[in-house]
Amino acid sequence: MSNAVSTKHAAAEKRSISPLFWLPFGAGGMLAALFGPGLILVTGILGPSSSGFMERFASYDHVLAFARNPIGKLIVLAVIALFFWHGAERIFLTLKDMKAGPVPNLKFATYGVAALVTLVTFVVLLGIGF
Amino acid sequence: MSERRPYRRPVNPKWWWAPGAYRAYTLRELTGVGIALYGVVLFAGLISLSRGPDHWEGFVQFLRSPASIVLHVILLVVVAYHVKTWFEILPKTQPKIIVNGKQVPAQTITSYATLVAVACSAALVLFTFLVAR
Amino acid sequence: MSEAAALMKTVELRVLRYSPVTDEKPSFGSFQVPWTDDMSVLQALQTIKDTLDGTLSFRWSCRMAVCGSCGMMINGKPQLACNTFIRNLPKGPITVEPLNHFPIERDLVVSVDDFVKKIESVYPYIIPKKPKSVADGPYLQTPAQMVAYESFSDCINCMLCYAACPQFGENPEFIGPGAMAMLQRYNGDSRDGAQKLRLDLIHGEDGVWSCTAVGVCSDVCPKHVDPANAVNQNKTNSALDFFLRFLPGAAR
Repeated sequence: MSNAVSTKHAAAEKRSISPLFWLPFGAGGMLAALFGPGLILVTGILGPSSSGFMERFASYDHVLAFARNPIGKLIVLAVIALFFWHGAERIFLTLKDMKAGPVPNLKFATYGVAALVTLVTFVVLLGIGF
Repeated sequence: MSERRPYRRPVNPKWWWAPGAYRAYTLRELTGVGIALYGVVLFAGLISLSRGPDHWEGFVQFLRSPASIVLHVILLVVVAYHVKTWFEILPKTQPKIIVNGKQVPAQTITSYATLVAVACSAALVLFTFLVAR
Repeated sequence: MSEAAALMKTVELRVLRYSPVTDEKPSFGSFQVPWTDDMSVLQALQTIKDTLDGTLSFRWSCRMAVCGSCGMMINGKPQLACNTFIRNLPKGPITVEPLNHFPIERDLVVSVDDFVKKIESVYPYIIPKKPKSVADGPYLQTPAQMVAYESFSDCINCMLCYAACPQFGENPEFIGPGAMAMLQRYNGDSRDGAQKLRLDLIHGEDGVWSCTAVGVCSDVCPKHVDPANAVNQNKTNSALDFFLRFLPGAAR
């Protein structure tokens, strides 16, 4: 019986790094679920359609001031990065289901792009200044 | 007993498009493409902003174009489907919630959470337009 | 067939046959089975075995959906044969195949060895928080504490969830929904203290991280166990553990 027990509990399998991608996926998904429709409505449909909104609210000076504000920077970084990481995880897993290519290539094309965009966003936000 | 020769049937490589729950699952996951696409739009906006007022004006002109409006309507539909399906999965990721000795049904959690989400997006729209006045 | 049977309506059953001794691979056999409105697919199979082809092999026992023996693919969906009634199936031939994603031993009988090993590996018994003797009296558990794990204790090990799960189909090493339900049945029990021991089993790619929340496992479960919940709530646990394990004395 003791032999049977030892083979049943073979050394725990190597830990997966999936949590590194799953948590941003979850955060991005929640952010998109709570504010996605609102954001798309404001920035993509109602805003550009209403007369004067873009001139007042979305003028270069106004948006620049938002992006220069530390809180504004955090919001922009969070939304862009988390939306990309959410999309990356889902697209990666779906392409893997579809056997669209070797897994390392798929990871590069999805997580790699998300990482690049996150980095560039961070750098550009710093470059815009305070 | 000595004549065992177990046979493994091959798995359908297109299982993700099989009609019913599997196809619905794939469509649900593809909403991630919509979310990433909207991220691309925002990213493009940020880059335009960083390049100065002329580039920003160009981005605003793009947002005003019919093509962009159509794109955003499509993205809105995709993200709305994301909202619906996201809160359907949400109860699965949590331990059972027990109130008065009974398990709160998953559908109840989904309904409440979806309501909160609608309120959040509505609040964002209202807030933005109020502040813009 | 008796005169009475010859007058009964018949339904065609297309059953996947495989004999490891004589067949290179499985192929379909067809049977015309007389049926009545109260008959299950299991009873149709028993009719075949009793009157048409005694070599047809399939597992069954309780014929009332509590033993978990008669799981098979009926018209492409994993179901219990004793719980699937001919009157509820669409008109036309009924396709009966062994459970997806498992090696076929013979006809409708699949190999369960791998599944049994997974069940045994999750420490499927109460490991108390501290040693307790009979003299200390019984464990006390409120109805609310029992509800926390009750659905997972209803599992009859029928393996329909494994047949439905496409990630298990792709990766047979995935611990799978049934074993995770068993794991959570104990981790969620207020009498048990071995949460970390069991969680340490599932942090790998073949643990919870093969799951992509397709959710069909819970859809096909005949006992409403909700194995998808067992797997996915442990993704949260595993993810938190990934980051919090470096804290000294991290409690789980």
